[in-house]
Amino acid sequence: MQPLKQYWIAEALEKDLGDPTNPDSVMSFKQVIDLDEKEEFPHEIINWLYNWKLQHYYIPAECGGEFTSFDEFIAFVRVLSRRDQTSAIAFTTMFWSYLTWMAGTDEQKRTLASFMKDANGAMCLAYSEKAHGSDLLASDVRAKKVPGGYILNGEKWPINRATISGVTFVLAKTDEAGGARSLSLFMVEKSKIDPANYTHLPKIYTHGIRGSDMSGIRFENCFIPESMRLGAEGVGLELALKGFQITRALCAAFSQGAADTALRTTLKFALGRQLYGKTVFDMPQPKRTLTDAFLDILICDCATIGVARGFNTMPEQISVWSAVVKYFVTTTLETVVQNVSVVLGSRFYMREEHDWGIFQKVLRDNAIISMFDGSTVVNLHALLLQLRQLTKSRVKNAGRNQDTLQARLQATFDLTQPLPAFDGKKLELVNRGGDDVLQGLELALTSLSDLQTDSHLNSEVLQQIIQLLQMVQEELKTLDHQITESTFQFGHEQAPEVFDIAKQYCVLHAASSCVYMWLYNRHHLGDFFASGEWLALSLRKLLLTFRPAKALPTRLSDEAVSQELVRLYNHNRMFSIVPFQLAQPQQEEITTDATQRLQLQA
Amino acid sequence: MQLKDSNSKPSSSNAVDTIQGWLVNQIAKQLGINAQTIKITEPLTRYGLDSIDSVTIVGELEDWLDAELPPTLLWDYPTIEKASQYLVNEVGVTPAETATQATEVTTKPQEAPKEKAWGGLWNKISGS
Repeated sequence: MQPLKQYWIAEALEKDLGDPTNPDSVMSFKQVIDLDEKEEFPHEIINWLYNWKLQHYYIPAECGGEFTSFDEFIAFVRVLSRRDQTSAIAFTTMFWSYLTWMAGTDEQKRTLASFMKDANGAMCLAYSEKAHGSDLLASDVRAKKVPGGYILNGEKWPINRATISGVTFVLAKTDEAGGARSLSLFMVEKSKIDPANYTHLPKIYTHGIRGSDMSGIRFENCFIPESMRLGAEGVGLELALKGFQITRALCAAFSQGAADTALRTTLKFALGRQLYGKTVFDMPQPKRTLTDAFLDILICDCATIGVARGFNTMPEQISVWSAVVKYFVTTTLETVVQNVSVVLGSRFYMREEHDWGIFQKVLRDNAIISMFDGSTVVNLHALLLQLRQLTKSRVKNAGRNQDTLQARLQATFDLTQPLPAFDGKKLELVNRGGDDVLQGLELALTSLSDLQTDSHLNSEVLQQIIQLLQMVQEELKTLDHQITESTFQFGHEQAPEVFDIAKQYCVLHAASSCVYMWLYNRHHLGDFFASGEWLALSLRKLLLTFRPAKALPTRLSDEAVSQELVRLYNHNRMFSIVPFQLAQPQQEEITTDATQRLQLQA
Repeated sequence: MQLKDSNSKPSSSNAVDTIQGWLVNQIAKQLGINAQTIKITEPLTRYGLDSIDSVTIVGELEDWLDAELPPTLLWDYPTIEKASQYLVNEVGVTPAETATQATEVTTKPQEAPKEKAWGGLWNKISGS
């Protein structure tokens, strides 16, 4: 069994869902494509997941559920998402329950937990309005105070699961004077309000995730009792922003699942397809494309897992970390899907060829991830506003409290370390105390230097890792200098160049995450992980954002990485730094065992 | 034994003035508007400072005052006057700088920067 406990749920779910290429499995590619063609909501799949009791893993243990850590959560969301993003997203709107777990009364928490566990209930998020986009404060939806509650008026659109859900989290204006304290958040239970006072808007036909219940909701003089308000009046915006910190980071799991399928199905084609007397995979260019895609997945994995664990270890820094992965991981993995499509050739565009046409569905479905829960621009904006403070903290903290910094980094990145319980109240609207991930570069360089005496390591690989991380540090210094030399500007008309700096910051953050992940897990994630070629290649890949290839050390051989890719494919394991077991077709299980035996004998 | 000289420390009204002056100056500079047009009794949103800006400006204020402040300070005290009074009377901060600076600010408002976004950062990077 997988030694890391946080992957047990993902493996168990995989096993029970079965092989997605078997049409008879739940969430098989055939089934999800059929539903998508018909644009039908995946009721049967969602019911199966409820019967499996997966909803319990969306409810924190202290509220009567099974949720304990975000790294466990992202692992099983990847399992859902690699099969079908429509169902994965539909089921995971349930994670908006975190608003209640963070701010609700005991009674509200009990109500919601029981609704999810006993009534197979789902929820949706009603923030957006047609006229206002990301400008939440411009809300036209009003909640007017009356004795015992509020009268709700107005329309929210677009909303995923607006129609097929029993609880709607509504952000509404409670103070006509406006300002940051003018919004309040309501957990509206549809079963307890008068159906005459609200209507669902028609289904929206979308480019991807076609079976989604994408619609909206309109309230007309709808009375909602005071008990449906979450937190105090006026805390709506604050709760909304903190809730986004959670869900944005977790969006990365949807992208990871999609990228896995895009790469897996393309690899299947490349390994089986014969051209010019060899397989497509045997040709250098397609092989390089697929190997690079695998590297991107590993890089994103390090960033995502780091942030997921960071919720427990460093919640006060999540306002930055969460924006980093929501931008970096989703856009990088979107590019991965595009890149591997070239190897698939014209088949990527066909709706029936090759694995029931799952690739074209992934391409369409996945395109929404970088957009929802705050678009790329919104995330980069949230980040760039904090850059000056981050730079100041980095200067102020340089060389201070190295032991505690080291301990915090280890708790975050060492996957065998137990995590402290997550406390939502520790989330901050803006980063507190700097960014540990970039603050720790000096420590990481010292640790790498200490490894030079380790005879198990290939010294060329280690030297390159050190050299590349020094370049990361130089680029960070340049970036800090640029930021210090500038004066800060508020508002929404930031120069595109400032957005570029925010993007570069994300790349440096991701590069550092990869290094810590390696440093703290070299002894428990297998030989491929430990040998470090993947890390040197990944760092070099990330540094191409800053420097031309000829200014970087020569690219190491990627043979070990491409071999690992094929090995994981053959053994049905996740493309991940923790390659947990995926569902296996029964016949192939026997073949794999036989191969393993043969290898052992050889 | 030295007698405590009450004039050696800025009085609380001086402290409030100093913070007000700093905020006027800072906001004028950062929003690119003339300091003289800023009224301390107007909600800051009137000058184009949005909710997220209000949270990030607290970071600059924290650095200047060398104190940890609630990030939602300017949400709960949305005018310069209210925020400054809260900081002095409730949080008990005392700015190190003298009150005279505040007077200078109001008599000699700084020129609004002409470049958008981080004071022409791009010009500095590209050397143009």
